[in-house]
Amino acid sequence: MKLLSLIAAFASLAGAAEQGNPAEYFELNVRPLLASKCYSCHTDSKSGGLQLDSREHLMAGGKSGPAIVPGNPDGSLLIQALRQTHPRLKMPPGGKLKDEQIDAVATWIKAGAVWPAGAAPAPPKYVISQEQRAFWSFKPVAQVTPPKVKDTKWAHNDLDRFILAKLEEKNLAPVRPADRRTLIRRAYLDLTGLPPTAEQVEAFTRDKSPDAFAKVVDSLLASPRYGERWGRYWLDIARYSDDKLNSTEDEPYANSFRYRDWVIDAFNSDMPYNTFVRAQIAGDQLPDKDKYIAGLGFYALSPEMQDDRVDATTRGFLGLTVACAQCHDHKFDPIPQADYYSLLGIFANTNLGQSPLAPKEQVDAYQAAKQKADDKKKDLDAFVKSQADSLAEILATRTSAYMLDVAGDATDKALDDDVRGKWKKYLSSPDKDHPFLKAWFAAKTPEERRTAATEFQALLIKVSAEKKLVDDKNHITLGLNPNRNDLSQANLVSMDRDRFFLWDNVFGERGLLHFGDGKIDRFLAGPWKEHQLQLHEELATLKKAMPPEYPYLQIIEDKKKLDVQKIWLRGDRNNPGAPAPPHFVSVLTTGDPKRFSQGSGRLELADAIADPANPLTARVFVNRVWQHHFGQGLVRTPSNFGAQGDRPSHPELLDYLAATFVKDGWSIKKLHRAIMLSATYQASAEPNEKNLAADPDNRLVWRFNRQRLDAETLRDDLLQVSGKLDLRPGGLAVHLGKDDFRRTVYSFVSRRKLESDFALFDFPNPNNTSEQRNATNVPPQRLYFMNNDWVIAQAKAVAARLRGDDAKRIDDAYQLLFQRAPSPQEKKLGLAFLAGQGTHAEQAWAEYTQVLLTSNEFQFLD
Amino acid sequence: MMTRRDCLKTFGTGFGMTAFAQLAGAASVGPSIESNPLAPKAPHFPAKAKRVIFLFLNGGPSQVDTFDPKPMLDKYDGKPMPAGNLKTERKTGNLLKSPFGFKKYGQSGIEVSDIFSKIGSRIDDCCVIRSMYTDRPNHEPSLLLMNTGDKQVGRPSMGSWLTYGLGSENQNLPGFVVLCPGFPVIGPQLWASTFLPAVYQGTYIPNNEKTPDKLVQYIRNPELSLTEQRRQLDLLGELNKLHLQRAGQDRELEASIQAAEIAFRMQSEAPDVFDISKEPEKVRARYGDSDFGRGCLMSLRLIEKGVRMVQVYHGNSQPWDSHDDIMSHKRLARDTDGPVAALLEDLKLRGLLDETLVILSGEFGRTPVVEVSGLVKVQNGRDHNSHGFSTVLAGGGIKRGYVHGATDDFGFKAVEKPVHIHDLHATILHLMGFDHTKLTYRYSGRDFRLTDVAGNVVQEILG
Repeated sequence: MKLLSLIAAFASLAGAAEQGNPAEYFELNVRPLLASKCYSCHTDSKSGGLQLDSREHLMAGGKSGPAIVPGNPDGSLLIQALRQTHPRLKMPPGGKLKDEQIDAVATWIKAGAVWPAGAAPAPPKYVISQEQRAFWSFKPVAQVTPPKVKDTKWAHNDLDRFILAKLEEKNLAPVRPADRRTLIRRAYLDLTGLPPTAEQVEAFTRDKSPDAFAKVVDSLLASPRYGERWGRYWLDIARYSDDKLNSTEDEPYANSFRYRDWVIDAFNSDMPYNTFVRAQIAGDQLPDKDKYIAGLGFYALSPEMQDDRVDATTRGFLGLTVACAQCHDHKFDPIPQADYYSLLGIFANTNLGQSPLAPKEQVDAYQAAKQKADDKKKDLDAFVKSQADSLAEILATRTSAYMLDVAGDATDKALDDDVRGKWKKYLSSPDKDHPFLKAWFAAKTPEERRTAATEFQALLIKVSAEKKLVDDKNHITLGLNPNRNDLSQANLVSMDRDRFFLWDNVFGERGLLHFGDGKIDRFLAGPWKEHQLQLHEELATLKKAMPPEYPYLQIIEDKKKLDVQKIWLRGDRNNPGAPAPPHFVSVLTTGDPKRFSQGSGRLELADAIADPANPLTARVFVNRVWQHHFGQGLVRTPSNFGAQGDRPSHPELLDYLAATFVKDGWSIKKLHRAIMLSATYQASAEPNEKNLAADPDNRLVWRFNRQRLDAETLRDDLLQVSGKLDLRPGGLAVHLGKDDFRRTVYSFVSRRKLESDFALFDFPNPNNTSEQRNATNVPPQRLYFMNNDWVIAQAKAVAARLRGDDAKRIDDAYQLLFQRAPSPQEKKLGLAFLAGQGTHAEQAWAEYTQVLLTSNEFQFLD
Repeated sequence: MMTRRDCLKTFGTGFGMTAFAQLAGAASVGPSIESNPLAPKAPHFPAKAKRVIFLFLNGGPSQVDTFDPKPMLDKYDGKPMPAGNLKTERKTGNLLKSPFGFKKYGQSGIEVSDIFSKIGSRIDDCCVIRSMYTDRPNHEPSLLLMNTGDKQVGRPSMGSWLTYGLGSENQNLPGFVVLCPGFPVIGPQLWASTFLPAVYQGTYIPNNEKTPDKLVQYIRNPELSLTEQRRQLDLLGELNKLHLQRAGQDRELEASIQAAEIAFRMQSEAPDVFDISKEPEKVRARYGDSDFGRGCLMSLRLIEKGVRMVQVYHGNSQPWDSHDDIMSHKRLARDTDGPVAALLEDLKLRGLLDETLVILSGEFGRTPVVEVSGLVKVQNGRDHNSHGFSTVLAGGGIKRGYVHGATDDFGFKAVEKPVHIHDLHATILHLMGFDHTKLTYRYSGRDFRLTDVAGNVVQEILG
């Protein structure tokens, strides 16, 4: 059946031209062929003057004449070139097409070479079925009532009832609550990334009031340390970096930190999440934009690729993998390819920009001062170059004298020692990039050498003139503008290879007669010397007077002239298809998506994402928060809520949290509070045989998940207990190894050279939006804790904070690091270690504290 | 070194037995332990190749000057390429013959350029693919495609996939090592594990550093002797054990305990393996004292110790990028010819070649036509060429003394049996025992693989 219908289809295609549908025949058989085989050279780049992208162009033809004669394939150059029967034209280069492909083109020409009007055919309309729309994550967030539970004592709040109901369904029960020390330690590390002090633990343990823990949570949420930790999770999604992925050299951003600090502040000030989203997409278009425009760093700091922006937008805000629809319609989710290009077009219609944080006068003053200094530098360089060139030419006229002097045939007192030395070095080896010294090295007698040297000198003078001629010609070709940026395609002339290398050896930047800035000084005298000195002085004065660069925000802004993005067929930008005007993701709109009409469409996009009716935005975000509290989300693919993603373990709870979140004015802090005050959050991390057997992955959340501390928390905690932590907030990123005491969130994050110490502890790669941290446990991490100088220094600092005899110091160390007393056995082990290490007491102590800092109790969050 | 008694003392009995079994298994292969992501794992099917050495001539070596002789190029030197030039990165002109001669080598009679005469002498052990092609004539996407299977950043590198799939045979060394004096263009993205766990990322070693102790990060304690550290580690083990008793059974806590013991042993083994002064002078001399020569010798020692994949980049940035003057290939070959040949010979002498797949390649090739863009000072070089280039494979399951595929008469484009990078990757994975469509990792709800949605195993080059 299938085969039959295929044959039938094929027959109808093949016959389409004869059967009176030449347009369809062209679209099916000819255009794809032209697009894939010919367009790379014969569209805009017009190889041989020929463009094959419209009937007019084909008729106009190229250098060899019209490409086609409609009705006469054999008389058409195109067919002759394709059949390779033409004496000169054989196309495409590197491989003849299949006969049936050529025949298709011939058939099309024979039928009159019909080229349908309009740029490209309209793709068949993409239809999203009701069934697809009924996928769980596309359905509106439901208003759910918490379920009834059998155990009416356990739950602290509604959230718990969702968890408990599922457990009871499976005949399971949650484990007992965590003890108070564990709980407060958990809350501190979780919300602020720093452990509590022994006193804070003690105070909480003694506080028997019913809201004791709520008070702790509130105080932590009010701490500036909170934004530093939770803002960083958002920076994972925003693929935040302090430099550009420049492929050959470092290119740090001067102002990236302003976006990082804005994110941290947004968390600390509990900016409503919907506003937070809108600010990052269209902060420049919001009322009160000064508060929000810094959020545009989300895009302004992205790797320079537009498609990364679609990916970060859709995975980051919506949990949708729209970037999978770049080459074709999404394979699993109802996302047409056109959706991808609709979104891409929004970002393609923006430019990177600056939003200065200084008065206009200051910006203008800086730019004017910089221009002046740059101009002066140009003057100086030009003067030095002209002098160096003249000097080299003068010295070249003395070439044979230097050569003969070096050979010992003739001495000339007037020669310059430095230049003589250079010639000596140059003539010490016959291994040259050019053949022009062969005669010199072959010469046996002074006479032969004299001849060779004279000829060589004459050649040098000639080559120097030749180079000038070539440079002049190229200068003219470039429209007298050597700064043209399309040099890679410029049609320039060059010298013969060997002669160029001779020129380069002698006159080039590193040539032996080239005396550039700094080296030319001793050759200058009189007015020339004065002029050079004056230029130097003026430049120094200008530089000194130059104000520091003004601060600015890195932003994106809409282009003045907007383009309509086209679909790139099969993802190939050289193969444009139908236009894809800007609009929102189809499956998230009812009916046909409405075309965005304001500028690039960013604000409309932002509003569509932040719309309370959007089924994904709130769900995705509450799941992220849940994930960071518990170590895994209710949906374990936090950036993919599509068909290939995970299904929620507790769909009703997810909806309950999302709906409450929106109802609470998108307050992130209220969400934290609800989660942390639940009995679910406060459960211990202990195993339970029955539960483990039934649910080894703890998807039902019957216990808290033990988590290895992440890179930042590990480092910050070491600093906290060593007493070195520098809590100054914000500002320019600091480099590890230089400023070693700031919170890790303020360390330089590099796209180009990922910080290996961070990567070692699974810090995410900032080149892509990142949805969760891995938590590996590998030997190189242990090496770091065993042997890294910085760790050892912190261990020593911890030891230095402890006073008294060994027993007391052990007690204090346990209080400082773990906020508890050591067990008798732990104490015994410690004392035995200190007594047996045989080294100096303070050294033994540092070794001991290093062990405690390396221990699992310190490195895991229970 | 840890004795059996030490182990028992450290771990007691019960929970620690799995860890003990692994630790007691001396340096290398131990039983696979779920919690150790680098434990050796069996591939999908038995395979000859167990390890990979990827010698990367970064910058794009020219095929028509190395492994793909073109007599027609000599004949039509200075004339326009019939049918016109293919599109490359920059403007190109007429055909430019190779300044180097070619000779037939070995029983197979495969022709190799004079600048690679020593590799020529080992050519009977090699398979030359002359019909490679890639997607873009620019370094960045091509480097990424060759190393990660995708033109953009964000996918795990081939070495990461291999260590993910196979683990490592030596738990005292990293499973995937990258040697480069400086950084190739793009840098660490080329050996990143991205969404695979970080344990699979390449361990980068700047091999212009000559002191073995300084090559591996944090391999030496600046103050303590190994005996003193052993006591630290014993205490750590005891404290962790007490903690584990309180916490209850936990895989992650046990993994961390085990990792500390392995780390301790790495300290003895790792500096030793990077110390090429342990090789006889006679051996060292054949590799020469260049960074690349030392890198090749290190790769041999690492492979001997069971490291899964070693990648040796020729040099900082992109040495083979001869836009200006193709004669510079001669100097570059002087650095690489000897070490590559010596490595192939030593692998064979030490009985490792059958199990080791050696790859010699750049990210793309160069044009047979001269580059005439405004960016070159002298027009005697070649532009990037994604349409055709050569890759040499040797060892582990590869057909020997064999040439696969061909470019057109001038060496511009792969026309016979073209092999895309995805095909090369599929073949490499096949040689290592994997069905490339099944070595997958689920990330963000999708199964990812090295070959993405493409790739065919090139059956004809299998031995």
